Amino acid sequence: MPPTKYKFNPDSLSFDKVRFGIKALLLRFLAYFLGSVIVAFIYWGIFASFFDSPKEKALKREVEQMTIQYDLIHREMANVEIVLEDLQKTDDNLYRSIFEAEPIPGTLRDGGIGGVNRYDALEGYNNSNLVIETANRLDKIIKKVYVQSKSFDDLIKLAKDKEAMLKSVPAIIPISNKDLTRTASGYGWRIHPIYKISKFHYGMDFTAPLGTDIYATGNGTVVAVLSAQRGLGKHIIINHGFGYSSIYAHLSNFNVRAGQKVQRGEIIGFVGSTGTSVANHLHYEIKLNGVNVDPVNYYFEDLNSMEYERMVEIASKTGQSFD
Amino acid sequence: MAVIYGTFFENIFGSPKEKILTQQVENLKLQYSLIGRELDNSIASLNSLRLSDDKRYRPIFDMDSVPESYRKAGIGGVDRYRELSGYQNSGMLISFKSKIDEIISMATVQKESFKTIAERSVEWKREIDHFPGISPVNVRFSLGEGYKWRAIHPVLGTARMHNGQDFRVPYGTEVYATGDGSVIESGWNTGGFGNCIVIDHGYGYQTVYGHLSAIKVARGQNVKRGDRIGISGSTGLSTGPHLHYQVEQFGQHKNPVNFFNNDVNADEYNDMIQAFESQSKLK
Repeated sequence: MPPTKYKFNPDSLSFDKVRFGIKALLLRFLAYFLGSVIVAFIYWGIFASFFDSPKEKALKREVEQMTIQYDLIHREMANVEIVLEDLQKTDDNLYRSIFEAEPIPGTLRDGGIGGVNRYDALEGYNNSNLVIETANRLDKIIKKVYVQSKSFDDLIKLAKDKEAMLKSVPAIIPISNKDLTRTASGYGWRIHPIYKISKFHYGMDFTAPLGTDIYATGNGTVVAVLSAQRGLGKHIIINHGFGYSSIYAHLSNFNVRAGQKVQRGEIIGFVGSTGTSVANHLHYEIKLNGVNVDPVNYYFEDLNSMEYERMVEIASKTGQSFD
Repeated sequence: MAVIYGTFFENIFGSPKEKILTQQVENLKLQYSLIGRELDNSIASLNSLRLSDDKRYRPIFDMDSVPESYRKAGIGGVDRYRELSGYQNSGMLISFKSKIDEIISMATVQKESFKTIAERSVEWKREIDHFPGISPVNVRFSLGEGYKWRAIHPVLGTARMHNGQDFRVPYGTEVYATGDGSVIESGWNTGGFGNCIVIDHGYGYQTVYGHLSAIKVARGQNVKRGDRIGISGSTGLSTGPHLHYQVEQFGQHKNPVNFFNNDVNADEYNDMIQAFESQSKLK
């Protein structure tokens, strides 16, 4: 109970007891409370500027640690980048020395289209991200259109024909080549590994370890299983009908006999280095009506348009073949 | 009272200092996420390096791929990052640290692997250069008697194995070394080859060039593929001008026809020889 308060009344010249209403009381309490809050706030402000709360301490520790670690990681990253660059140079050099060709820039390294600084010129503007993205997309679309137009001719022709033909025409890669890194040398003028002169390479080379499975690329009949001392070495010829035949050369071993019927995807032999060959690889040829054609156009069962485009790029590198 | 209020305030509003600190933490997190992207890029490019290692180079040289256990070696260990634990974001820090460690160990293994491949590649090139892979003269369409059992030796008149390939060439045709190697015999051969050169190519290969009219290399001399080593003739047991060419692998006679391609035409052969000669010391 607060002490009783009195108020001088000039009319009666006496002290009257002061009576407070609930409202006044509340107001009073509020005033006191606010006052205390303000004082407390000031004190707390002073206190907080001198001493850290446990939360702050934890946060400070956190920030400190993160900054230190960030610096460390940053420095290490710089090192890592140097090492990586070094490794990539080594990779490029190896590629150059083995394939006698310029390595494929970025495509395999960064995945997808283009290297990092493709759109360097577009950076630095307000909407540069948007512009870059759009340019990127345009690029992709143009490439896709190009690839499409290339494979449409084949597709249209195929679509008109019967199922049997679809199953017979060579249409897959003769070895497992999911990431396309096994493609070594394409169709066209290539440097001969021993003669070191440009010679026409009538097939595609795939690098693969000794004994890797080789698949028939379409249904057909094995017409020849030959072991030559030179040239193609141990090789298989499959007649697919419809004018198509395919040749698989430099095998280490056979898995089929002459006259045998094979289905697409059947294992017909194993990779080796027989005949005129300087390393383990598969030499793959397709003939249409007895004339050699570029096998890169006959992987439509395996590759989507992007992969196809990459395959075309890899195969078009004029480098060294392996036979 | 003030303390109670203080804690109260803090819980509701947070002190300005705290706000700044929280802001800093957020900023750092952002920077970390940027670095994180770089880390992921690095790992991706390391993986692609590894792909070209495993799928491109090693199959060519018939090498086994680097085992997974070796590639992943050195990663793990529980107490490696103890100093980093106990923070709000220690999970993140540890993941970054371990990623970097992973990258470093991957890079180290990759470097080692590339080193061995590079060594093997040099060796491979050397092997290809030493292989007797071309024809010794620039006349493909006048192959004489080949590698076969012949009933009558033209001079001796008896049945003998013909261990080499004859090239019917006129006097004075240039004879080329068919692969890099060193001359181990040079001079008159009492076995009937007349003026004769034997080149040791290493890797088990030796080639013999017989019935020469002139020899241009001395014993012990190193020769390169395409070097002019002699002039053809008809010395020794010979009935007419020709070159006798013989290939041996580990002491066994091989049919020389299998050691060169017939589909190189004369012009191409000339270009090739010129290219070879421009790199070699013999002219």
